[in-house]
Amino acid sequence: MTETGESVVTDAGDGSPSRLTARDLTLAYDDRTVVDGLDLDVPQGAVTVVVGPNACGKSTLLRALGRLLRPRRGAVLLDGTDLARIPTKKIARSVGLLPQTPVAPEAITVGDLVARGRQPHQRWWQQWSDDDERAVAEAMERTDVAQLAERAVDELSGGQRQRVWIAMALAQETDLLLLDEPTTYLDIAHQVEVLDLVRQLNHDRGRTVVAVLHDLNQAARYADHLVAMKAGRIVAQGRPGEVVTAGLVQEVFGLEAVVVPDPVTGSPLVVPGRPWAGRSG
Amino acid sequence: MTAPATSPDAAVRRPPARPAGHGRLTVGRASFLVHRRAAVVAALLAVLLAVVCLAYLCIGESFVAPSDALKVVLGQPSSQELVVGTLRLPRMVVGLLVGAAFGVAGALIQTVARNPLASPDIIGVTQGASALTVGSMTFGVTSYAVLPYLSVAGGLLAAGLVYLFAWRGGLHATRFVLIGIGFAVALRSVTQLFLTKGDYLVAQQAQVWMTGSLNGRGWAEAAPLGWALLVALPCVLWAARAQRTVSMDDDTATALGVRLGRTRLGLVAIGVVLASMATGAAGPVDFVALLAPQIARRLTRTAQIPLLSSALLGAGIVVFGDLLARKVFAPTELPVGVLTAAVGAPYLIWLIIRGHRTRSRAAGGQA
Repeated sequence: MTETGESVVTDAGDGSPSRLTARDLTLAYDDRTVVDGLDLDVPQGAVTVVVGPNACGKSTLLRALGRLLRPRRGAVLLDGTDLARIPTKKIARSVGLLPQTPVAPEAITVGDLVARGRQPHQRWWQQWSDDDERAVAEAMERTDVAQLAERAVDELSGGQRQRVWIAMALAQETDLLLLDEPTTYLDIAHQVEVLDLVRQLNHDRGRTVVAVLHDLNQAARYADHLVAMKAGRIVAQGRPGEVVTAGLVQEVFGLEAVVVPDPVTGSPLVVPGRPWAGRSG
Repeated sequence: MTAPATSPDAAVRRPPARPAGHGRLTVGRASFLVHRRAAVVAALLAVLLAVVCLAYLCIGESFVAPSDALKVVLGQPSSQELVVGTLRLPRMVVGLLVGAAFGVAGALIQTVARNPLASPDIIGVTQGASALTVGSMTFGVTSYAVLPYLSVAGGLLAAGLVYLFAWRGGLHATRFVLIGIGFAVALRSVTQLFLTKGDYLVAQQAQVWMTGSLNGRGWAEAAPLGWALLVALPCVLWAARAQRTVSMDDDTATALGVRLGRTRLGLVAIGVVLASMATGAAGPVDFVALLAPQIARRLTRTAQIPLLSSALLGAGIVVFGDLLARKVFAPTELPVGVLTAAVGAPYLIWLIIRGHRTRSRAAGGQA
């Protein structure tokens, strides 16, 4: 009945077909076009990071990939089928999405919130199966929040809270995970912690991750595949080492910068030009 | 109680990962998550409600021994058949059903709006039901076979109008509540207009109905409401689960595979129908739909408003309120709505003041 069966999907690796693709995607809020005729193949089993200046449409693109926004034109395809034609619950078993600032119900405990990630796998007569229990335990262990299980989400620190939300998205056990600026509001140590966790998830389970990040250097460090956007279009994409150049930084961000190899990872490191220092500088 | 883990690392058993305070109930392949405290609270409320009901049947102009009252309830022959069976029992059943319906209706609509103020008796639903009912009364429709359905039509119509006016490409809770309050006031005036235009006798009858009274109510009112609640029961079971998902933000809920628009509409529709049916049976017994869910939630300490406890509390408030109204102010039979309003109004004011405070504190925290 379906045009494309799931047999098309193969394991991770270079050149494997991508499960999630965008074709001629045009996105708009009211009459303001934010993304215009964009094509994207999300590489299977890799960490894709989308970067770009403020209001370039990167978060909007992510929302559309997670069917939170209806395309004005074009489509997002999951295994070759338009997202608009797949029941939302079925999508939720393949694609997980964590918004930039999710809101927890008042006074909810950590364990209860993580458990809600199981929603798409449950039915009215199957509200808490062994699978649910296992998935939630694993998700909490992986994100190191098991010892917080009985605490209220409201009283956690920013870093802890972000880990709890990621745990919820993990409990959903989806192949694809979309993260909208998962490091916003976190200090640098927690940012690194969250990004390492993302990397690890991708490595251990071959999960496909698409993340929108603000920080170009972090993006270059953690991405297998980097997508640079400007004004609703993709300017460049590929391996960070090939994509991130002084020319690209100038073109996308309009910033004078020097690109040197990161002393730790060897990935490109963007160093902005000399700061303003008065006349003598 | 739970099946042994089948995973290879079963030897290193992890602590159960179910949410704190929850127990699991399994029947074959079916499995349910039960909040322990909520279950205990509901059981205690049920016992308390039974006691209140018994007191209701015993206390009145003449005192009836509890044993005699129970005999009547169980259908055994008793000398108190007339007082208990004919006068008090039907009236109490109407009170129970009305209270339960208001409690559940309040819980559902408050959940969807994520705001305790968004209660059917604040945002115009019961006022819409009243307006159409009183309007029909003044035009000579007094049959209790028709009035409940007119109430439902009135409630749905009012809710639809509020929804329509509050919709701006999305539904914002505060705007929804404010527009609802506006409609409530307007519809109250419409009702007053009907009362002044209408026949004097009808107006007097409608006036008593308007304050929410169980006086003179019996099986004729109980039957349609009972049927409605019975039909609504499976819907309410669905709602109890759907409630869990609408309490999250829209994006997160959608990402979890929830059809938010439909779920919200479904929950509100059930709430509006229940509140309107209850209004049709006893008039707008004010503040029960506002109070019961909020008290219930504070008792159970659950992340969402508990439906069963809201129903039990709603029923308890109405029956106990009617008992007080009947006995304390005897021989005047005070409408129970006057009593619930006396308790509910201060609470409403407190809610608004507290809402202002937390909101300004939140705003301060953001800056």
